[in-house]
Amino acid sequence: MKALLQAELLKLRTTRTFIALVGSAVGLSLVLLVLNTLLTDEFDEESVRFTFAGDFTGLFILLLGAMGMAGEWRHRTITSTVLAAPDRLKLLVAKTLSYAVAGIVVSFVVTAMLMLVGTIILSSRGLTTLPFSDLLDIMWRNLVVSAYLGAFGVCVGAIVRNQVVAIVGLLLYSFAVEFTLFGLAPDVAKYTPINGAPSGIVDVSFDEGETDFLDPGVAALVMFGWVTVLFAAGALLLRRRDLT
Amino acid sequence: MPTVEVRDLSKRFGRVEAVKNLSFDVEAGRVTGFLGPNGAGKSTTLRALLGLIHPTAGTATFSGKRYEELEHPSATVGAVLEDAAFHPGRSARNHLRVLVATGQHPAARVEQVLLAVGLTEAADRRVKGYSMGMKQRLGIAAALLGDPEVLLLDEPTNGLDPPGIAWMRGMVREQAAQGRAVLISSHLLAEVAQSVDDVIVIANGELRAIGTLETVLGGEDGPATEVTAEDPDALATALKAAGATVTREGDKLVVPGLTPGQVGQIAAKAQLTVLGLAPRARSLEQAFMALTADRKP
Repeated sequence: MKALLQAELLKLRTTRTFIALVGSAVGLSLVLLVLNTLLTDEFDEESVRFTFAGDFTGLFILLLGAMGMAGEWRHRTITSTVLAAPDRLKLLVAKTLSYAVAGIVVSFVVTAMLMLVGTIILSSRGLTTLPFSDLLDIMWRNLVVSAYLGAFGVCVGAIVRNQVVAIVGLLLYSFAVEFTLFGLAPDVAKYTPINGAPSGIVDVSFDEGETDFLDPGVAALVMFGWVTVLFAAGALLLRRRDLT
Repeated sequence: MPTVEVRDLSKRFGRVEAVKNLSFDVEAGRVTGFLGPNGAGKSTTLRALLGLIHPTAGTATFSGKRYEELEHPSATVGAVLEDAAFHPGRSARNHLRVLVATGQHPAARVEQVLLAVGLTEAADRRVKGYSMGMKQRLGIAAALLGDPEVLLLDEPTNGLDPPGIAWMRGMVREQAAQGRAVLISSHLLAEVAQSVDDVIVIANGELRAIGTLETVLGGEDGPATEVTAEDPDALATALKAAGATVTREGDKLVVPGLTPGQVGQIAAKAQLTVLGLAPRARSLEQAFMALTADRKP
């Protein structure tokens, strides 16, 4: 398993897609942070928390995970991958874990940058900053969500082999279906896999407190449930498929 | 024990029976040609051997073990499949590094196989800029990474230029000489005839012939001899008297069922002068066409 994990992480590092997506996550997160901290004149602790939790890694690692798995079919590399690692279940475990690890690493870098740059700007303007313990609290929450979304993306890619369908489907589902559901049935929406349950972990509200998100423990269980179900479906399909 | 064992292998895709009850062995130290026209079932058989597709019936194993049961699969079997694909954005060296990490091979193997296939200088270029021949060489490099005991090559000469084909022939002979079992599939008998010891011919998913190249080329109709004589009519009479069937093609007599030696003895006994005597071999194409022609059930 260690060898498979190393190989999957090496795969991730050796394509430009990964670098481009990580760059986008860093860039987008930083631009929004800088604009927000420079243009807003009043910050309380809650709004600083919200600003530092604005790590876009989750979205990008979700898409990267789906692309990484579905891309094996798109580029027809699934054959050489399975030849090198014939145990397809172990292969999917390794891929899922590697994108979770990638999510943690990238999210750590992005969140740390947000905190550093944000704190420098806020202090220079004499505005509210957060104590180190609060920063650590935000950090672990961001890391957990990014790890989860990386794994979630891989599982989606294992089920939906078409890379374009997987990416467009995830974006539509995330931004159209889930947000619509938040408007219509917030009590159901808080259990959704991409925006609902993870918001219970991040513990900041993107709808100004209208939705009562899940407690972090419950949210973690719900997220674990989502990944488990999707992983089981993906593994079943991967094991049964003929690679012609 | 044969290195590669295929027993009663069948594979059905929906209503199409791609492989029907196929059985054969591949021995170590020999190059075996796996021949058949396009759509004969060659790739399906190789993929079944490699655990990429699930057989409907039968088994395909390496010394009794399925590919996925092998302790070190890529150190036991190296494969180049027809549609060998690589991530276009990854370099050849990084592609091989990934496979080395997965198969837990020594890192030094990357440079060794790159050198062996002549890709060292192009190793850091992204694969999307590679020619088909270079991709084929990269596929072979990947197959050789684990220094495997068995090599399965599916249409390996596709996309190779003449020097590349010559290199491939030399490479497979060298691999067999080192004791490896090499199974090389092709739809062109002429391309592999110079490098194979044995051949397995399939068509419509069925086994049509198996054996040494000479045996299979001889076909079911046995030996035949072409002879020219000073007095062909007298020789034809003598041959018929000896029980042979003789057909005439211009100045030449064709004698199926007899070797040149037997024809020479009959001519000598009849005190007739023979001007030319040669075995009649079916051409590669004739043999291949005859073996793979459609057969009515």
